[in-house]
Amino acid sequence: MFPLEIHLDHFIGEMAVFAMTTLDPMSLAWMGAVFLLFGEIAALLSIAHPVRVLIVSTVAELGYVLIGLGVGGAAGETGAFMHIGFQLAMRGLVVFAGWMLILRVGSTRLEDLAGSGRRMPVTATLFGFGMFSVMGLSPFKGTYSKFLILYAAIEQGHWAIAAVGTVASIVAAVYYMVLIQRICFEAPARRIALRPVPKGLMAITSVLAVAAAAMSLFPAPLQTLAETLAGVVGGAGVPHFESPWSPLVLVPYIGGFALYALGRFSPRARDAGAVVLALSTFALVFASPDLDPTSRLFALVFAGIICVMVIYSIGYMAKVEWGNRYYFFTFLMTGSMLGLTTAREFGDFYVFWELMTWTSYFLVIHEQTRKALNAGLIYFLMCASGAYVMHFGILMAHAEVGSFAFSAIAQNVDAIAPGIGLAIMACLFVGFAVKAGLVPFHAWLPIAHPQAPSSASGPLSSILTKAGMLGIVKILFGVFGLGALTRFAVAGVDLRTVLLGLGCVTLLYGEIQALRQRELKRMLAYSTLAQVGEIAAILGLGTALATDAALLHVTNHALMKTLLFYAAGAFILRTGLRYIDDLAGLGRVMPFTAGVYALASVAIMGLPPFSGFISKFLMIYAAAMAGSYLVAGILLAGSVIGVVYYTRVISTLFFKPYTGQTSVGQAAVREAPASMLVAMGVLAALIVVGGIAPQFQLALVAPVGDAIAARSGLAPAVLPDLIMAWPASAALTMIGAIAVLFVGRFSVPWSGRLAVAVPVAAIVAVLAQSGRYDLLSLSFALLIAGVGALNMLHATSYLAHNHAQPRFYAVFLVMIAGLLGMTAAPDLFNFFAFWELMSAWALWAAIIHEETDEARREGFKYFLFNTVGASFLFLGVTMLAAKAGTFEFAGLKAALASLPVAVILPPIALVLLGLVMKAAMLPARIDYQMHPAAAPTPVSGYISAVLLKSGPWAILKLFVVFGGAGLFVRLGGQIGGEIGGQPAILTVISVIAGITMVYAGAMAVVQNSIKLVLIYSTVCQLGYVLLALSFGTSLGVAAGLMHFVNHMLLKDTLFLVAGAVMVRTHATLLDELGGLGKRMPITFGIFLFAGLSLSGLPPLNGFASKWMIFEAAFSSGHWLLGAAAMISSMFTLAAVLKFAHAAFMGQPTAKALDASEAPAPMLVAMGVLVVASLAVGLMPGLLLVPIAAIEAQLGLTPIAATLTGPLPGLDGWSPTILTLLMLVLGLLLVPWLRLGRSAGVVRGPAHLCGVADLSADRERLPAAELFESPNGVIKTLLLPGNPGPGKRI
Amino acid sequence: MSTQVAVVLSVLLFPGGLFALTLGLALKGMDRRVAARLQGRVGPPLTQPFIDLVKLAFKRTMVPTTACEPVFLGAPLVGVVSMLTAAALVPISGLYTPEPVLGNLLVVLYLLVVPGVVLMVAGSSSSSPYGAIGFSREMVLMLAYEGPIVLVAAAVALRVGMAEGHIATFSLAEIVAYQRTHGMFLLDPVMWPAVGAFCLFFPANLGIVPFDIPEAETEVLEGPVLEYSGPALGLFKVMSALKAVVVLGLGIALFAPLDLTGAPAFLGWLAEIVVLMVLGVTAVRLSAGRMRIDQAFSFFFKWPLLLSAASVAAIALA
Repeated sequence: MFPLEIHLDHFIGEMAVFAMTTLDPMSLAWMGAVFLLFGEIAALLSIAHPVRVLIVSTVAELGYVLIGLGVGGAAGETGAFMHIGFQLAMRGLVVFAGWMLILRVGSTRLEDLAGSGRRMPVTATLFGFGMFSVMGLSPFKGTYSKFLILYAAIEQGHWAIAAVGTVASIVAAVYYMVLIQRICFEAPARRIALRPVPKGLMAITSVLAVAAAAMSLFPAPLQTLAETLAGVVGGAGVPHFESPWSPLVLVPYIGGFALYALGRFSPRARDAGAVVLALSTFALVFASPDLDPTSRLFALVFAGIICVMVIYSIGYMAKVEWGNRYYFFTFLMTGSMLGLTTAREFGDFYVFWELMTWTSYFLVIHEQTRKALNAGLIYFLMCASGAYVMHFGILMAHAEVGSFAFSAIAQNVDAIAPGIGLAIMACLFVGFAVKAGLVPFHAWLPIAHPQAPSSASGPLSSILTKAGMLGIVKILFGVFGLGALTRFAVAGVDLRTVLLGLGCVTLLYGEIQALRQRELKRMLAYSTLAQVGEIAAILGLGTALATDAALLHVTNHALMKTLLFYAAGAFILRTGLRYIDDLAGLGRVMPFTAGVYALASVAIMGLPPFSGFISKFLMIYAAAMAGSYLVAGILLAGSVIGVVYYTRVISTLFFKPYTGQTSVGQAAVREAPASMLVAMGVLAALIVVGGIAPQFQLALVAPVGDAIAARSGLAPAVLPDLIMAWPASAALTMIGAIAVLFVGRFSVPWSGRLAVAVPVAAIVAVLAQSGRYDLLSLSFALLIAGVGALNMLHATSYLAHNHAQPRFYAVFLVMIAGLLGMTAAPDLFNFFAFWELMSAWALWAAIIHEETDEARREGFKYFLFNTVGASFLFLGVTMLAAKAGTFEFAGLKAALASLPVAVILPPIALVLLGLVMKAAMLPARIDYQMHPAAAPTPVSGYISAVLLKSGPWAILKLFVVFGGAGLFVRLGGQIGGEIGGQPAILTVISVIAGITMVYAGAMAVVQNSIKLVLIYSTVCQLGYVLLALSFGTSLGVAAGLMHFVNHMLLKDTLFLVAGAVMVRTHATLLDELGGLGKRMPITFGIFLFAGLSLSGLPPLNGFASKWMIFEAAFSSGHWLLGAAAMISSMFTLAAVLKFAHAAFMGQPTAKALDASEAPAPMLVAMGVLVVASLAVGLMPGLLLVPIAAIEAQLGLTPIAATLTGPLPGLDGWSPTILTLLMLVLGLLLVPWLRLGRSAGVVRGPAHLCGVADLSADRERLPAAELFESPNGVIKTLLLPGNPGPGKRI
Repeated sequence: MSTQVAVVLSVLLFPGGLFALTLGLALKGMDRRVAARLQGRVGPPLTQPFIDLVKLAFKRTMVPTTACEPVFLGAPLVGVVSMLTAAALVPISGLYTPEPVLGNLLVVLYLLVVPGVVLMVAGSSSSSPYGAIGFSREMVLMLAYEGPIVLVAAAVALRVGMAEGHIATFSLAEIVAYQRTHGMFLLDPVMWPAVGAFCLFFPANLGIVPFDIPEAETEVLEGPVLEYSGPALGLFKVMSALKAVVVLGLGIALFAPLDLTGAPAFLGWLAEIVVLMVLGVTAVRLSAGRMRIDQAFSFFFKWPLLLSAASVAAIALA
């Protein structure tokens, strides 16, 4: 045998020598390149004729050999010989397998061959295996003779030839994939009678298949042979590509094959085996000691998500075809992805990269529909092309450094010239960007993700795109380093900036596209694009903190997006419907699935208390720390868009009636199978844990940032404390919310009772932890819980006949929990986190509880407005903390005192803007900024009375943090000066509040909706509060705080009255009411008291605080605003009397005819509030004494206050004395009224000038016809063309 | 005399309470008598309002079946109480200075809103359509004259406050004291527009021609009080009489307090009240026709508002 080999060796050697001596070697190489490129193009063009394609492509393949020989060198020649060897076996396999197919079908045309996979699975599989092998892909290690040849070209400086080779590979991939898909996967178009083939053909094919597999698995012998032929001694000059595979790869890999085999006998055993294998892989990753931080993080995410995927798949794939193949490729993909994390050199990295694409391709096309195949084709071609470009970069790097090892490259990166360095990194970047789906390399993502089975869509979106991020962080940041990233710049543009820019573009593009989708999974896929963009943009900031933040979001997005896809998959499994609009009301029949979907949506919107909030916060903070406010702004703008499309789905699932629509037969829709629920439950739990205790994730992420920083000589990141500090009251209320939901499954009345008990218990909890609060916050917290209990009590009656009461109680409690947490916040982070908890999803869900179109529309508008307001606050808060270097209130105060005004003014202005927006000030689009009337009335009352007060409260609280009066004096001194002794920034707020006060007051007068009257009046009264606070004087703040509480008591009373009226009459408009005073006398009395007090009639409590506001306005020089405040109180009076007249007086309407007194729980709730108001009216010191103490804490001169003493101010009067005197006078006069009694009381009809046949309706003066002249003026001035709210008048 | 006793007496006896009640009814009688004389009639005796009151006290009380009875009967009571109290808040130059604990100009202004509210609630609660129309008109009128009166008050408060070193003062005592030393505002050209605005305000506030629109007998049959009879109607008459005392007294305190003390002060003040009643109420109501509500509304948005704003502007810019 030896002589033969030597002979062969000699012969080929001679041939080579002949070629090289007769031809200029480079001409040979160029000839090969041209031959190759045109050959591949020609093959592509003859796609309809497979035989021709194979012939042309085989010939073209010789081009590689020519290149290899032409460029020469150890690598080139070895590569050329290896290529011949590989191609002989693999092409042979293709030829024989193809031959068999052609013989059996009896045609060479592609149309006839298409669908052979279904007719002849084994032969087609062998054919496919051969085709993939020829391309350089197979489940085993790919062939790398091509790799060697191109390497040789680059090594010797022939970039162009290598580039041509790369392009040719991309062209070849197109026709290979088309052939593979059509022949192996497509469904046959028609039936064809198969013909027999010679038996020997199958044997030959099988042998070739084994040979091809063996060569791929153990290429060493062939390589040795090729080296011998090329005359290379001991492999010198031939690059060393790979190292042995790590167990992390081998376990899932070999396991995949084992599962495939097992599945042929028992699918159930296979499923169990898959779970065991996935868990073992995860355990192996967890225990793996030698991974660097980046790799460890990604490996854990990859392996973890696969575990969930496998569990989910048990249910999801139970009735789906090709289950074995599914698990097989799932685990091969897992192995490949873990291979990426274990790779320490580019050879491995590249091989696994290709394998990852190849294996995931099979998951995309799993259902083998035309759409899926199309998606798979685009996916494969784009990712493979990206990989070829990356491959080119890898070879260039080796040519520069002489090694594939990451460590070697890292050491020598400084020696690489900027131009070449940029080219290398750009090539790698393209490969990563395609995988990550960054615009403009994103086209495959929204097509491929939705087409895969949902069990795979999740991981595809959540972890496969993250492989791109792994590449960026591990290779670009970790190997090349941030320094190189900056150094390799052309014309000032470096890759970091490109990453940042593409990230922002991708983010916005993804959000906008997601917004436009009607199909759920496509929407989710576009959302992935947006999230990936977000991560890329933050990575592009290039700081250690930004890296931490982005990677934290990588982990969170993996969980959230998987869960979203999985819930979507459950909907599809049970209903067969893919469009969002078809999911109406599914929350009722699939409560768990819809619930976790909602949870993940809220999390991905970046709202607490879920993990998405933590990472979003960290990302915005990182952007602020890096000074990239634009990036932060774009992120925030993106999430506003996200809110739109995510809430749309939740709204459809829960707040629309269930239609019972399905496309999968008549069976009633029921909850998803148990294994899917388990998978989703685990993800949901992780999302919650990540929100409440992010320290575990941060511990994984932080070392990465540190390592990246150390690699590039940057300062390590200082992570802020991102653990929400739940005070007992908030924690109790939050747990209470969950308990209420739970109890509600068994007994709705008891859930209501529990819901009332929870805020009562929260009062105790607040008192028990009173040390956590300053006096202002303590008082507010007590009012929050107290009024919360009353409104909840009212709600139990209000919603007595509602179908989803526990849901309402729960979200109401979450709002209260947010408020309670906010008041106890020790730092800006907690303040903002609880602020979001209070004012975002729970608020929205409470508002749209009634499930009407109007509620959904108006609730959404309000949610959007709140999100925008919170975004300003978000940016302001993070900017402040970034400037000051701390979130802690105490530290912040110290830091702000020493920072220049120009630095702290923008964040403070942003924060104030957010707070002022919360209080619905500055009526630009009042129909957005005002809380909607369609909410259940008890919660409307709570929003008006309590929740919106968080704006004024926060202004006061932060006033101290920002340095109190001193800071504002500094601000005033430098910006805009002082206006009337008040800093300009406060004057702006005063004027805004003043305008709002008059505007909303006037608008209240012209309303006809029961609740809009009250809501406009709320905006008006908040104007009073804010106006007084903004004066910043001792009297002004006291007045504002007193009105803060008075309005809380009085407006809440009015809302509860409105709720009682609405429950008893089912009316929403004032004109539908009348004559209720006789039917609901107690309610009417309560209304009249609260309304007149709020309008400012002396000596009631509402007047006392307004009097202080007037005094404060005039005494601080704002006499114009003071006069405006006085006039506006007439508007309140007009609105209250209009309400009283329309609802309670006159002839009853049809709706009011059967009304009876409000139910007892409502009367109790209203009664308590009235008693509180009366007490304050009689003893203003009840409020003023604590207010004086609060002022002392705020650093203001405290007002002089005693329990029953006069009001503060220049000439303070005493409500106690005046009230008592008037009471005495009244009592003295009562007998006067009784005098006539001796003559009797006559009851009869009202005088109508003798007209006796007027109907009750004609006898009544309806609300809309009251106050004609002012109505006309107000409408003309404030509602030109009657836009927005005017329509409802 | 301790403060508490003084306060109680001021509300129950003088200048509020019994005294204001007597004075108010007497002024009413005078008004009717003078009006009759001017029209060439004999007119009722001065004591007629007292006699009416006693007569009404023993009449039967009528309550419409559709009315909301507690509110219907309670409303006038509240109105009378508010005016009895308000009368104790208005100083009489040289004779009576109200205790600060009772309230200042702002409290008086808002107490003056109460009778209007009482009328509105009464009209509304009577369930009579005439009452409802009266209610609507009363509110419109109130919205119309509130702007001017607030600015009139602001003008006075700023004028005194700025002179005294704090930006504004609503203390009626201080306002009177200032005028006693610096001369009454009636003679101060800067305040003339404000005086004019006040003169236009009080007929509207007192509900007399040309601004008796809410109670127009010939149109809406006295509107809000149409359904009232007996003691309750009597209370309305008392309220109206008291209101005249309070508003006229307030006008005097704001613009024309006399620099006298003791008995001359009292007599001077009484003379001022009588003159104002005759000139400002009786003469006006006899010599004018009633406006329509929309005319009145736009009227107040023109002249009184401009006048009061002119004074405020002149003071603030000085």
